[in-house]
Amino acid sequence: MIDVRRARIDLEAVLDSVRRDDAGAIVLFVGTVRSDEGIRALDYEVYRPMAIKSLTALAEQAKEKFGIAEMSIVHRLGRVPVGGDSVAIACAGIHRAETFAACEWAMDEVKRIVPIWKTEVEGRAKSVRGSR
Amino acid sequence: MQIRLRLFATYREIVGSRGLTWSARDGITLRELVDGIVAKYPRLADHRGSMLLAVNEDIVSAERVLTDGDEVALLPPVSGGAR
Repeated sequence: MIDVRRARIDLEAVLDSVRRDDAGAIVLFVGTVRSDEGIRALDYEVYRPMAIKSLTALAEQAKEKFGIAEMSIVHRLGRVPVGGDSVAIACAGIHRAETFAACEWAMDEVKRIVPIWKTEVEGRAKSVRGSR
Repeated sequence: MQIRLRLFATYREIVGSRGLTWSARDGITLRELVDGIVAKYPRLADHRGSMLLAVNEDIVSAERVLTDGDEVALLPPVSGGAR
């Protein structure tokens, strides 16, 4: 499962999408919007077709690089409030070591190469400032 | 020929649009196109060094020769994922 969506991420569905009888480990990473310096939400902007292409390639690379069985990546777009889930990566492998490693690598790659930008939304005044 | 431009985040704010159509001469390279865009929107010049360029959803070199109907995206450094 590879997706970029406005709707809330169904973590159970992401988890189920990687289940396989030959996999003894599943790692689920969930990135959330944390409360920080008056931030009340993050707005995610995505170049969707390129992001989908990039996430698909990334999941395939993870399988090849770490020998894992399945990987799903789902990212939010639009406004995600503090406490909300912004990204979920589920990874299934035969053993836990490579499964943890693949999940961590994939998250780093998502932040590095997938065309997604975030803007911090502050306080009640709805003022917006760039995150970089 | 007509090039479809896509702009994101900071670049969208500078240009004031998510996308627009740009008229260019035949045989123009991506670098020449960006030169023209930066000339029209000088505030983009500060970002030129970190700008990634995509044509039809693939990152390409600035020397790429464009063709009519290409979709060119100017991409700021990404900041995706969880904070």
